[in-house]
Amino acid sequence: MGPVYLFDVASSHARWLSLRQATIASNVANANTPGYRAQDIEPFDKLLDTKVVALAVTSPKHLTTETSLRPQGTRKEDSWEVVHSGNSVNLEQEMLKAGDINRDYSLNTAIIKSFHRMFMSSVKS
Amino acid sequence: MMLEAVSSILKGVGDIARSSDVAKSSSAVAQTGQPTLGFGGVLEQVASDAIGTLKAGEAASISYIQGKVSAQSVVEAMMSAEQTLQMAVAVRDKVVQAYQEVSRMAI
Amino acid sequence: MIDPLQASVQIASSGLEAQSTRLRVVSENLANANSTGRTPGAEPYRRKTTTFTAEMDRASGVPVVKIKDIGVDRAPFRVDYEPTHPAADQDGYVKLPNVNSLIEMADMRETNRSYEANLQVIKQARSMVTMTIDLLRGA
Repeated sequence: MGPVYLFDVASSHARWLSLRQATIASNVANANTPGYRAQDIEPFDKLLDTKVVALAVTSPKHLTTETSLRPQGTRKEDSWEVVHSGNSVNLEQEMLKAGDINRDYSLNTAIIKSFHRMFMSSVKS
Repeated sequence: MMLEAVSSILKGVGDIARSSDVAKSSSAVAQTGQPTLGFGGVLEQVASDAIGTLKAGEAASISYIQGKVSAQSVVEAMMSAEQTLQMAVAVRDKVVQAYQEVSRMAI
Repeated sequence: MIDPLQASVQIASSGLEAQSTRLRVVSENLANANSTGRTPGAEPYRRKTTTFTAEMDRASGVPVVKIKDIGVDRAPFRVDYEPTHPAADQDGYVKLPNVNSLIEMADMRETNRSYEANLQVIKQARSMVTMTIDLLRGA
């Protein structure tokens, strides 16, 4: 499939990373909310597997630019510690996750930019 | 607006595709074999793709200004428009080049 | 959510506001750690508490955090024997605020940490949007 498939996956990955960032925002903001449990979303590679199968089934001529891939829900994660108020948010853990997201998003946009440039220069006569 | 000027250039490409003898004869040749698109057909397809993605890019930008979509959607629509436009322009250039070569051959 | 990055900024902003309010309450407690009453047997300053709650912002459908209310700590007052104090009762005991400065200072440090974490979330969400827009820049 080549670069066309890549744009699709990269777009889904960017969307997933954004959703995860929002989940972390919620966790950090609710660090002192009694009874709040830290949340996280399904890992991206799980969603990627189902998406690959779907692409193989539909016609390869059908190129879509919009992504129909949405993480299917959140799951409560196992936190490293539970604070006495029943709130389970660990700020360090959330900040580490945020760091991961930043790095992944940076790489994601760099890849997209690179492939876009390659496409443009390959099509120029 | 600039987008309308570009759209009209692309429509011009489509017109060349329909009216040129080269395009007609090449589609005729192609039709004897498998039902693939002829040279003219490819031009039309590429031109309409480009017009489509340009309009989508415009719509996405307006939606973003209204606060309805994310920046990611707009960027994706714009990049898609860039790519299809580049493709259409490249195909147009090749068509013009080929036509010129053929017209030189006739003499 | 329509735009998760925009929602992140909104959520973290509500976090900033909530932590600010909490800091104000903690400062008030610290400032009044020794505020007794003026008349004999009068009650001193009572420690204030904040309760956080998760809410859904009606306009945008984004789950934000808010301070539900500022309550009071029902813990009993400290009592000191000081017969010459203007607030001493007939037995010479003065009621002192139920504020522990060490706890309030620790609370203040934690509030600071949370505030900075929320700020970091906003910075990162903004940076991600900028990275996306930068895809269109350049040649």
